[in-house]
Amino acid sequence: MSRSPGRKQENHKISRELFVLTYGALVAQLCKEYEKDEDVNACLDRMGYSIGIRLIDDFLARSAVKKCRSYSETADMIAQVAFKMYLGVTPSVSCNSVTGNEFSLILDKNPLVDFVEELPAERASLCYCNLLCGVIRGALEMVHLAAEVSFLQDRLKGDAVTEIGITFLRKPEDRRHRRN
Amino acid sequence: VPRQCGLLCSQNYPLYIRSVPTENELKFHYTVHTSLDVVDEKISAMGKALVDQRELYLGLLYPTEDYKVYGYVTNSKVKFVMVVDSSNTALRDNEIRSMFRKLHNSYTDIMCNPFYNPGDRIHSRAFDTMVNSMMMQVC
Repeated sequence: MSRSPGRKQENHKISRELFVLTYGALVAQLCKEYEKDEDVNACLDRMGYSIGIRLIDDFLARSAVKKCRSYSETADMIAQVAFKMYLGVTPSVSCNSVTGNEFSLILDKNPLVDFVEELPAERASLCYCNLLCGVIRGALEMVHLAAEVSFLQDRLKGDAVTEIGITFLRKPEDRRHRRN
Repeated sequence: VPRQCGLLCSQNYPLYIRSVPTENELKFHYTVHTSLDVVDEKISAMGKALVDQRELYLGLLYPTEDYKVYGYVTNSKVKFVMVVDSSNTALRDNEIRSMFRKLHNSYTDIMCNPFYNPGDRIHSRAFDTMVNSMMMQVC
């Protein structure tokens, strides 16, 4: 399944409902299989990672973006290009630290939780969308950026907003050593 | 005179019952349960015609002295019953139809919740809010 950059995106759209329901079924099934919320969260993260390491090539081929030269550019790229391309939403980006390696993506709308009103009482620590964190982490790793990605706030848990935190773990190497 | 109205959402047992105001609730529950029999009668009377229609607004099921009872059934056999005070003559048929449609849509949203198991009683704030606003309109 190769795509050449610049090739027009084919209009093979799948229904949003189907995708959202599939994701929901996935989370619900994991909840049946694992008693602890932490285990479900970890599983979602691993699955997301597995998607992310593959998705990055699709993303790079379809978006034909230039190499990011800073963490800030990378965070913007994730929010404005990747999220837009795959989920149809554009989270806002803010930088959380003076060191310039911690960022937050604030999701105003999140299609994955379209039909979920609130978490069940017995699942208060569930990070319903943790798959997304794994996807981001896996994708970044494939472009040689190590990062920790997690949900800092979650509307499903009663917080005011849904916020994904990305912490880049290593100082950027000299440009001449950077690949990809 | 307190107006009373209520709604029931059911497969073979109630998934959601609401009535306003809550006195005479028992009588209301009784009315609603007996009307389920009427719904079943109507469905079996329609027979084959059912299969082609996407939705079934059953209209006025039966009038009693105090109430008018309206029914609606989806093609997944979920029955909605609405009970309105007889003294409420302002309510028109197309208003009732649109209320049932709203109920059906909200019910569909609940079904899409991955944590909702079909057959469970409905505990949803969004559903409650929608029902409340409908009852305000009617009662």
